[in-house]
Amino acid sequence: MSDYGVLLQQVVNGLSLGAMYALLALGFTLVYGILELINFAHFNVFMVSSFFGMWALQFLGITGQSRVLAGPALAGALVFAFAVTMIGAGILGVAIERLSLRPLRGVRGTAAMITTIGVSYILFNIILLTVGAGSENYPNPLPVVRWQFGEVTLELKELLIWGVAVVLMLALHFFVNRTRLGKAMRATAQDAEAARMMGIDVDRVIVTAFFLGSALAGAAALIFGLYYNYTSFIIGYTAGLRAFTAAVLGGIGSIPGAMVGGLLIGLIETLGGQLIAVRWTDVIIFSILVLVLVFVPTGLFGRATPTKS
Amino acid sequence: MRNAVGIRRLLPTVTGGGVLSRVSLRRRARFGVLMVTAAALLFPVINGNDADIDSAANAFAFAALALGLNIVVGFAGLLDLGYAAFFAIGAYAYGVASSWQVQPEWSGFWEPWQWLDLVSRFHTANGDVVHFQVSFWLMLPVAAAIAAFFGVLFGAPTLRLKGDYLAIVTLGFGEIVPIVARNTPSVTNGAMGLNGVAAPRLFGYDFGVNATPYYYVGLALVAFLMFTSQRLKDSRIGRAWMAIREDEIAAAAMGVDRVRFKLLAFAIGAAFAGATGTFYVAKLQTATPEMFMFPVSVMVLVMIVFGGIGSVWGVVVGALLLQILQSWFLEDLSQWLHALGRLVNVEWLQHVELASSIELIFGFILVLMMLYRREGLIPAIRRVAPLSLDEQTAQIGRGGFDRLPGPLPNPPPLAGEGRVGARAASGPLLEVSDLTVRFGGLVALRSVELSVPAQTVVAVIGPNGSGKSTLFNVVTGVVPAGRGSIRFAGEAIERLRPHEILERGVARTFQNIRLFPNLTVLENVMIGMHARLDTGPMGALLRLPANRREETAAREHAREILALFGNRLLPRADHLAGSLSYANRRRTEIARALATQPKLLLLDEPTAGMNPAETLELADQIQSLNHNGLTILLIEHKLDVVAMLAEQVIVLDHGEKIAEGPPEAVRRDEEVIRAYLGRSAAFA
Repeated sequence: MSDYGVLLQQVVNGLSLGAMYALLALGFTLVYGILELINFAHFNVFMVSSFFGMWALQFLGITGQSRVLAGPALAGALVFAFAVTMIGAGILGVAIERLSLRPLRGVRGTAAMITTIGVSYILFNIILLTVGAGSENYPNPLPVVRWQFGEVTLELKELLIWGVAVVLMLALHFFVNRTRLGKAMRATAQDAEAARMMGIDVDRVIVTAFFLGSALAGAAALIFGLYYNYTSFIIGYTAGLRAFTAAVLGGIGSIPGAMVGGLLIGLIETLGGQLIAVRWTDVIIFSILVLVLVFVPTGLFGRATPTKS
Repeated sequence: MRNAVGIRRLLPTVTGGGVLSRVSLRRRARFGVLMVTAAALLFPVINGNDADIDSAANAFAFAALALGLNIVVGFAGLLDLGYAAFFAIGAYAYGVASSWQVQPEWSGFWEPWQWLDLVSRFHTANGDVVHFQVSFWLMLPVAAAIAAFFGVLFGAPTLRLKGDYLAIVTLGFGEIVPIVARNTPSVTNGAMGLNGVAAPRLFGYDFGVNATPYYYVGLALVAFLMFTSQRLKDSRIGRAWMAIREDEIAAAAMGVDRVRFKLLAFAIGAAFAGATGTFYVAKLQTATPEMFMFPVSVMVLVMIVFGGIGSVWGVVVGALLLQILQSWFLEDLSQWLHALGRLVNVEWLQHVELASSIELIFGFILVLMMLYRREGLIPAIRRVAPLSLDEQTAQIGRGGFDRLPGPLPNPPPLAGEGRVGARAASGPLLEVSDLTVRFGGLVALRSVELSVPAQTVVAVIGPNGSGKSTLFNVVTGVVPAGRGSIRFAGEAIERLRPHEILERGVARTFQNIRLFPNLTVLENVMIGMHARLDTGPMGALLRLPANRREETAAREHAREILALFGNRLLPRADHLAGSLSYANRRRTEIARALATQPKLLLLDEPTAGMNPAETLELADQIQSLNHNGLTILLIEHKLDVVAMLAEQVIVLDHGEKIAEGPPEAVRRDEEVIRAYLGRSAAFA
């Protein structure tokens, strides 16, 4: 394989990872846009929901990669797994907001962010203590189908990931821009106080943001499992930080920003790993995070907020 | 552990207040400190169990880290989630400087170092190599300095970021440092870890793996860092940090150089971690990247949240209690459960390892403390005695005051003074010309001209949104000027930063009151004096006679300024500014501005929200300020106050100056009436 072919293949891989990061980044951006809160719990909502997806598939009698489905059976299994994972993740996100963040509404400073670190730690350790420290073999009913395009191989699971990501992002776009609740959400993101005075139920908007963000993290988690064929208590941290970097890179608070940022981070991860070294990937990504925050804190799509005094 | 029990017993004396008189409170606190110290000193003698002493020494390392993080997070309010990075830097600094890991070839370059006993010449089959053998005692301050350097390096790019972004960037650095350590095995031996780090020696005695000497070194380290923290906290430095924590913009407007003091906090916080890293590695005699990952940063954060963010005793108690929980209590509890399991013959009870759930407990501690007790076990803020009825009853005064408190004894010279002194005498004190400010598409100020002669009162009026507060923000450097020039005493100030403008003698209040709510009234006023005081970090630590005198004079001066407002502020000097009534907060803000010893005072709606009697009282006081030589630029909506105080009135509308002149003339100006009262009023 030529160097060019290798890079092209890494672009394909990067787009798959990027689709996953974009879905995860949307959760950070939705919550940040409304509450101006970096939600560290999101890292491990992602991790926990990968187990939801695993259990859902196991419930259908699928374990490991041995049982391959096709046709309507496959579609049904996938729809069921995505639905269970996303709804489970959404409920988890809403529960976190309701129990640990709502009481802190209106408290100045970093209290809410510290709380999300605590929640994240709790989720992390619950899985560590109940499931254990090992990696779990992820059930995967997808047949292995490969297409060869010149030097680039495309797999069925990659097409599935892209398809799911595009559908979910379009759905989110439609929801935010075309529905009543979506309009309330945009209004709250601009100015929560004014939105409240105009009769918008801000708590409901926040719950919606947590539900949607967490559900998208659920989808990303299932994609993670199907893509890598494993899950573990530890996956939330690295994936979460990369997705957060994606959200910042795109301009945190901006929905298209999170999508584009996710794809960019996916590409940076695979191409950086290829061109430099995999063991430096995290250093590259964190350096990008720092550089973006320092030089373009509004990111690629962020809007500049006027200075308040 | 006995010392921690002692600290808990101290709780009521440190936090209680109320009816106890200050003196007896202080005596009891001093007695408590003495008891804790004695218990800590005797602990190894009484206990004698090497494992217990060893855990206590480890606990001291974490208490030292908690103290360092407390400087950054607790005092300066900069949430650092990658604090373990500095711990790692200090650890590897000593680890590399006193182990066999790095062995460059011997050359003449090393001879002076050999003479200093920092390296030795080591013979191998492939020629002579250098063996680093830097003393532990030398490396303690050196590692602190190296870590402080990195603190500044990592802190610098984050200075402009808001709190939560700062957390993420520090988290990024916290990730990068252990990865770099893992990926550079030639220096750090990578994931395998450094081995054979030399143990400290003192007067020929090798500490080896004996726990007791480490215990005492750790105790001394914690005691020294507590002393340092407390001294810094009760000084000009600590006040500046807390001002930044409470309100960055107000801190800058009161003369605190944000960049300098944030970097100072990063540097000192990192230095604590650097010294602690050296101690910890000397004790373990090994260092691996895993010892410095994110969980360590979170653990230290949990410790300070648990003990009380910003409270020196609190964070130490928090760290010690959590370490005790981890290394003793959970172990013991697991043993008891195993015994219980054998007794009742339940299989899983015999295998419970509670120590592995420590992080789960940390998570719950973070969440529960944030939800139910954000101030921690030992809060940093003391309660104060309630006011007597007499003190509560406001005496409405008229007539202002005769004289202002004199300047502080030997204040440092005002920046910019002297250079422009000659020109200042002739021209106006403040001169704004062609000033334009845009926010995106909105033009907040358009080619505004204005001049304020020395020792006059000039009022700026205009409808809401006409650009009055923006004008103040630009003059004080809070908002950058788009175009045009601002001259103060002849010197161009439009490119200066807020604290530099304050240093030249321009002070302000804010329309929406920006006090430091969790600091006392007295501390608020003393922060106003920041630019007029001299004490640096070393002075704060050593508290030399000069520093003592300065601090006493500043305190006295602050009380004199509070006394200007009769009995409204003085009895409340030790109350939190956030607990004051609206009018008293306005007065405190004026007192804080006066403490900066300004030449020009910018008051943004000083009488807003005051009743007619309070308004008159304050107007009299503002007039007295002017009669005592202060030049005043005033934004005010109450036109009778404007008429009473101002010699000259400037009217802004939609960012443009539409009229200027003495109050009576402006009042009759048709353009002004239209802008203020609407079209129909103008033609009525």
